[in-house]
Amino acid sequence: MGEVIVVTSGKGGVGKTTTTANIGTGLALLGYHVVLVDTDIGLRNLDVVLGLENRIVYDIVDVTSGNCRLKQALIKDKRFEGLYLLPAAQTKEKTAVSVSQMVDLCNDLEKEFDYVLVDCPAGIEQGFKNAIAGAHKAVVVTTPEVAAVRDADRVIGLLEAAEIKDPLLIINRFRPEMAKKGNMMDIDDVIEILAIELLGVIPEDELIVISTNKGEPAVLNQQSIAGQAYRNVSRRITGETVPLLKLDVSNGLLMRLRKLIGMG
Amino acid sequence: MPEEGSVKEIPVTKSNGGGKFKKLRAVNVSGGSSDSFFSQSKRSGKNGNLSEETILVKRTLRSGQRLIYKGNIVIMGDVNPGAEVVAGNNIIVMGSLRGIVHAGANGNERAVVAAFRLRPTQLRIASYITRAPENDQHLEQPEIAFIQNGVVVIQRYSPSLLKKLV
Ligand SMILES: Nc1ncnc2c1ncn2[C@@H]1O[C@H](COP(=O)(O)OP(=O)(O)OP(=O)(O)O)[C@@H](O)[C@H]1O
Ligand SMILES: [Mg+2]
Repeated sequence: MGEVIVVTSGKGGVGKTTTTANIGTGLALLGYHVVLVDTDIGLRNLDVVLGLENRIVYDIVDVTSGNCRLKQALIKDKRFEGLYLLPAAQTKEKTAVSVSQMVDLCNDLEKEFDYVLVDCPAGIEQGFKNAIAGAHKAVVVTTPEVAAVRDADRVIGLLEAAEIKDPLLIINRFRPEMAKKGNMMDIDDVIEILAIELLGVIPEDELIVISTNKGEPAVLNQQSIAGQAYRNVSRRITGETVPLLKLDVSNGLLMRLRKLIGMG
Repeated sequence: MPEEGSVKEIPVTKSNGGGKFKKLRAVNVSGGSSDSFFSQSKRSGKNGNLSEETILVKRTLRSGQRLIYKGNIVIMGDVNPGAEVVAGNNIIVMGSLRGIVHAGANGNERAVVAAFRLRPTQLRIASYITRAPENDQHLEQPEIAFIQNGVVVIQRYSPSLLKKLV
């Protein structure tokens, strides 16, 4: 039985899709069977980030409405045997999928895969409710900005209410030099408010933008520092203890972080 | 705190946006608004419209969550930015208070707000409203907010201050 993990944030544009694609590819790199489910109906992106957009025939709504079988809609990744994508529908409404259909879909997928990663749309409306419906675990993505952290907090409250316990935190687009000067929230400022376990810190990295445009997740690029961070995150997801990447931050902070992720 | 105040422990699990929750008589954590307690507590209070009943909340209130109670509220956890706590009487937070609080919401000007770290977005007692100064030097110590001579005063916790207030 696999694990269904939703990647969510509340605020838009903080890196949910980037995170889903990179963790998914990172897990496939480690040899796991992974399916990525794009639930951002009407604004699908995950196919582009993975470079699979020209292979889409059926989508998630085709599956839930019985237009095709689940196996027909799954798109196999170009690079990895064990990696699949279930794309979102581009031309339908968010309400085209119901919560119970989503639960059934996740139940079916978790029988076939080690990891089912669900890319959640921004917001806390129907699309969010659908995305979390079949999940056992959650990864909450935020950037070190006040508004993003506020929305992440809101989402953590909603996840708790939905009994998705102990969500894990990814702080994306971190810029150590800005935090050091006090121009950006520092990692411990974010953790102090959200008070959930830190899964990883992904630095700001222009190679993310390049890789997104090329349809090749940064996790595959040895030159990318964000890719390195995502490789570590993928290993932590599997239960491995991996030290945090040494970003340009003080030792004191790193020590505190180690404590927080239980490596004291 | 007066002896007659009964402290009950109530699992507040309700939150906006679905999921399972228990409906509680006088407690309401929600994302919507709920004003019903004001009329309730006016009827039930014995000191005018003041209730000495107390609830203990063992969790952090997160953004979008709101807790309303006619009596005293004690929170073992934080009140995060975007969360709101409204009490007919006193509010005590055993953690960081960063959201919005309203003590003495029925007009009780003797209500106080106390927190291990008091840095609310906005703090109200009865009909008085304050917010923290823009570049406030925050104390890493417990503080108490109360009304004195028509203004909200915030002071570091001390036994003598407490004596004065209760
Ligand atoms: N660590 C990073 N460094 C640089 N750019 C990044 C990083 N993470 C994400 N980005 C860029 O930020 C933009 C938004 O990322 P992404 O699409 O993953 O966010 P999202 O949360 O899925 O957005 P939406 O809410 O619209 O679904 C993209 O252009 C992406 O390339
Ligand atoms: Mg997205």
